[in-house]
Amino acid sequence: MSNLSELTINEASKKLAAGDITAVELVRACLENIKAKNGELNAYLEVFNDVEAQAEAADARRAAGESHPLLGIPLALKDNILVEGRRASAASKMLEGYVASYDATVVKKLKEAGAVFLGRTNMDEFAHGATTENSAYLPTKNPHDTTRVPGGSSGGSAAVVAAHMALGALGTDTGGSIREPASFCGLVGLKPTYGMVSRSGLIAMGSSLDQAGPLTRTVADAELIINAIKGKDPLDSTSTDVFSKNTAPKKIGVPRHLFTSGVDQDVLENFESSLTTLKTQGYEVVDIELPSAGLALAVYYVIMPAEVSANLARFDGVRYGLSQSGTSLWEDYAKTRGEGFGPEVRRRIMLGTYVLSSGYYDAYYGKATAARETLRREVAEAFTQVALIATPSAPTPAPKLGEKTNDPLTMYLLDIFTVTANLTGNPAISVPMGTVEREGKRLPVGLQLTAAHGNEDTLFVVGKEIEK
Amino acid sequence: MISKEEIKNLAELARLELTEEETASLQKDISNILDYVGQVSAVADGVEQAVPPHHNVMREDVPRRAEDPLAGKEETLRAAFPKREGSYNVVRKIIQKDE
Repeated sequence: MSNLSELTINEASKKLAAGDITAVELVRACLENIKAKNGELNAYLEVFNDVEAQAEAADARRAAGESHPLLGIPLALKDNILVEGRRASAASKMLEGYVASYDATVVKKLKEAGAVFLGRTNMDEFAHGATTENSAYLPTKNPHDTTRVPGGSSGGSAAVVAAHMALGALGTDTGGSIREPASFCGLVGLKPTYGMVSRSGLIAMGSSLDQAGPLTRTVADAELIINAIKGKDPLDSTSTDVFSKNTAPKKIGVPRHLFTSGVDQDVLENFESSLTTLKTQGYEVVDIELPSAGLALAVYYVIMPAEVSANLARFDGVRYGLSQSGTSLWEDYAKTRGEGFGPEVRRRIMLGTYVLSSGYYDAYYGKATAARETLRREVAEAFTQVALIATPSAPTPAPKLGEKTNDPLTMYLLDIFTVTANLTGNPAISVPMGTVEREGKRLPVGLQLTAAHGNEDTLFVVGKEIEK
Repeated sequence: MISKEEIKNLAELARLELTEEETASLQKDISNILDYVGQVSAVADGVEQAVPPHHNVMREDVPRRAEDPLAGKEETLRAAFPKREGSYNVVRKIIQKDE
């Protein structure tokens, strides 16, 4: 029975529709795996206590004649996505015990489709990190090698899917937080076009960068989830349904000038062989130049902390969450925020406060927004010539636990290839492209494909070629 | 390198209580990160920002109870108050005698 949890969403969906299996059987298989593996991996922060009841309700809906590809499919949710009546902590002590008062729009849509929620997954606190080691509730471990990180910040969501503790999961991606863990855990991870998926009910990090998206075992599964959660939402004024089709020819652009240093040789070898696969499928591979892309990480680490410092100002101990008292109002705030936020969150708030402060604003935030606009134009120009841009998803396979925690900058460098799509709003997917060997273990690495705004379909078509 | 006083001033602006030890480590970390992100200062000024795809997204100024995810959830919101009296959220008096 436990191998039911190894089905892809599409396979399980067909079996459910055919009446070969029930949603209850499916969730029991996942729960069995959770019982066996979650203790070691620490991927779920909470497994909901009504999972079987949710599955029974899904089976009842099917018996009453309903059908949806996600009806009865067990999924996991990152801990920064609100579900009414359930806890949501963003893996922070600041929100320990906080109970959400409404459903995120993505959750509302998944409930309508009939998905079953297994639990909430571990993450870097407030999504600040690339390894899930910044969680206030201990790190998650990589199912491929438990001495290594699963990536982050959606590391719990990646680990539960890779370890068959869920058929799929939702994560959020502000600078690579879906794609980089997908790469490290051998999964498909999609950051949709900015505006494609509503941000209502996500705990905000960088509001001009954040998107929610799927982590799955196949491209077709990611497509299924995105079709269920996308769409304009009156509760998110940046969401939209209006995108134009990119008509560029079947060409894939490769900005090789970005990989001249800092990328592991065997990661590059996997990258080249996946390009060869695409050539045999009839795609032309051409070199492109994105002159400002080398600056993308620096631009990101100005704009993101600026938005973080503003978004996290709401955690003041007055209306909800942790609340500490001092001898003055200032002390109430400072004690609450000093104790509630972990070190990386405090670091980013400080950095954001600095780049936005009078006297430094022009030199940092002003320059970064100008560079972001230049980068956006360069990428838009590239998409008049090519259908896709390809890079490795990350420069290395999953690092060891503790390897990146001493120096924040070395951790930031893991985002080097992923931040561009967040800055420009383009959709980008990470698809497994092979494995590399480290200390006798095979570790997965991912190929990142980026498309023009709203052209997720192209990512799915080409992603499926890589999967073959 | 950013000074210790600047770190303390930022912490004051950001409403964060820091220990002496953390003040020192932030001084080092923030300086290193600023050295790295300082690359952006080489960027030319005067890049004209494109018109964003969304411009002044408006709606009629009428209550939209049907779509409001918080409609009827007043008690849920009150339940989250750190300190509560009846249906009120108890907060510190902000106007003090000596100010």
